[in-house]
Amino acid sequence: MTFALLDTNIYLRLAKRIRPLLGTKFGANNYSITILKDVEDEVHRNSSLAFYYPWFDNPELATERMAKQIRLSEADKTRLNSAVSILHKSVQNDPRYLTEGRSPPSKTDCRVLAFSQIRDAVIVTDDMGMHLLAEDFDLPVWHGYQLLEQMYLAKIIDEALIRSIYDALENNGDMTKTWKLAKHTTFVEIFGEPEPG
Amino acid sequence: MLTMEKFINKVSVKSSLSALGWDQKKLADVLGVSGQAVTNWMKGEDFPRPNKLLKLATTLGLSFDELVIQSAKQPIVAFRKKGGSITTDEHLLNASSMGSLLKSLVKFLPESNALRTQIQSPSLEYEKLQAAAAEVRSRIGIGSQAVLEYLQLINEFDTNGAVIIPVMWGNKQNHGNALHILLPEEKATFIYLNLDTHLEDFKFWMAHELAHVYTPDLAGTDEGEDYADAFAGALLFPKDIAIEVYSKCVSISNKQHEIAIMRRYANTHEISLYSVYCEVIKYANALKLPPLKVTNKDIHAIRNSVRGSLVSHALFAPSQPDASSYIAASHAVFKSNFFNSLKIMLKDFHTGSGYVQQLLDISLKDATALHKELVS
Repeated sequence: MTFALLDTNIYLRLAKRIRPLLGTKFGANNYSITILKDVEDEVHRNSSLAFYYPWFDNPELATERMAKQIRLSEADKTRLNSAVSILHKSVQNDPRYLTEGRSPPSKTDCRVLAFSQIRDAVIVTDDMGMHLLAEDFDLPVWHGYQLLEQMYLAKIIDEALIRSIYDALENNGDMTKTWKLAKHTTFVEIFGEPEPG
Repeated sequence: MLTMEKFINKVSVKSSLSALGWDQKKLADVLGVSGQAVTNWMKGEDFPRPNKLLKLATTLGLSFDELVIQSAKQPIVAFRKKGGSITTDEHLLNASSMGSLLKSLVKFLPESNALRTQIQSPSLEYEKLQAAAAEVRSRIGIGSQAVLEYLQLINEFDTNGAVIIPVMWGNKQNHGNALHILLPEEKATFIYLNLDTHLEDFKFWMAHELAHVYTPDLAGTDEGEDYADAFAGALLFPKDIAIEVYSKCVSISNKQHEIAIMRRYANTHEISLYSVYCEVIKYANALKLPPLKVTNKDIHAIRNSVRGSLVSHALFAPSQPDASSYIAASHAVFKSNFFNSLKIMLKDFHTGSGYVQQLLDISLKDATALHKELVS
C-alpha cells in the first residue's frame, strides 16, 4: 500500500465533495488517502480557515479524520523531525523559492513532504514551492488534479464529481494555475478543448 | 540550493554510527552509495546530493545543525520576552528561520549609514551605564533631564541602519514583545516591534532594542538582554532626573505621595511607573542612600491593577487596520523602509504570499491581504 498524503489545502479542496475521502483505496498501487494531524491543528489554529471552511468540523468529517489520520510512533517522529530539519534548512537562502509565484515551504509544509521518508507515500499538494523542494530531493509528489486523475482512472470518482469540484474551485476563487491548465489537458475528455482566445 | 560552503559533521556521524554499532561500509550500503562516497563526505572533499543527505539524516536521526557544518554565519536572534516566558529551541529556530528569510530582502533596502554607533565595553556598573546613556543623549541633542521622544528613538534606529518591522502579534499569546534579528554577513539588523503592547511599556522596549543595536557583540546572549534592560532605563530616565525624583520623595512622609510624584514623571516621560521606580532605586543603591518608602511589591500591585491602552489601539482605534493603513503607519509613524523594500522584492522576484506569512509570522489571511496590497 502507498499512502497519498494530502496537505491542508488539498484536503480543504476535496474533503467536502469526495465522500468518503480518507482511507479510500484505489489504483494498481493500492493508494490510500490520508492526512497528518497537522491538518486538524492548522485549521483550528487559523481563524480564517475555520471561517471559510465551516463544514470542517461536521461530525462525519471529524470522525473520519480521527479514524484515518496517521499516528506516528516516537521513532517515526525522530526520523520525521530529522527530515523536516534538512528540508526546511535547505529552502532558506535559496532564491529559487522566492520566484515565479513561489514561497519557501514552511516548516509545516516540510513535515508533509518529510512523511515520504517514513512511509511509502506520495505527497499531494498544489504549492509550487513544495513541488520544487520535492523535485530537489527526489520526493514523490502530485498536484491535486493528478490525484483526481488517478481516482478517475481507477473509477473511484466520475465526471460529474470532477465537474462539481471544478465548479467549486472557480466559485471560491480557489483555482490555481495547475488546476486551470489541467482542465483542458488532463481532463480534456470531460471539459473539451479550451475556447479560442 | 544553498550556495555557502557546507561539510558533513564527521564527529556527529561517527558518534551516531558508534551508537548503532555500524561502520562506514554499513552506512554506505544502507544509503545505496559507494564506500568511497561516504569517505569523501567524511573528509570534506564532497557533499551528499540532497536525497542522500536526507536519507543520511533520517537514518542517523540527526538534524541539519547536527549533521552539517556550514561556513555562512547564521542569523543571531534576541527576544525581548514577556515576563516569565521561557525561550525554547522552537522559538529560537522559528526566529532564525525568519532571519534566513530576511537575507533575501537586504539587497532591496536603501543604503544605510556605514558609521554606526557602538557602545565599547558595555558594563552594568551604574556610573558607566549612565555615561553610555549620556553620550547617546548628547549625540541625539537632548539634555540630561529632557524627555526622549519616540521620534528621536526611531531616528536612532534609522541612523544605525536598523529596520523596524511593526507587527501585531497579540497581547497574550505570542512569546515575545519584540524580536531582534542580526544578520552578521549582511550587516543588517531588523527589529520586530509588537504593537499589541501597553503604551507605557513600549518606549522602554524600543530603547531596549536600541541597546541591542549599539551592542551587536552581545546579541543573542543573556548578558545582552541584561545590558539592554539596564541601558534602556538609563537612557529614558537618566541619573539627573532620578536625583530630582529621589529628592522629592525623601522630603515627604508617605507612600501615596511618593507614588504620585513618580507617576507624574512616568506620564511626562511616557514610561511606566515601574521604570521610574527602578531608576530611582538604582540611583539610591549606587550612592548607598536610604531606600524609598514604596516597595517593589507596592509598584507591582499598582501595575497589575492599572494598565494603559495598547499601542495598536492608540494607532488604529476603533478597529484593526486594513493592509493599506497598516503599511501606511509603518512608513509614517516608524519611518520604516521595510514595506517599501518588501514591495520591490515581491514584484521583482514575483514571490508568493507564503513568504510574507513566514516573514511576519502572521496568519495566511493577513499575509494574503498584505501581499495583495503590496503587489497591486
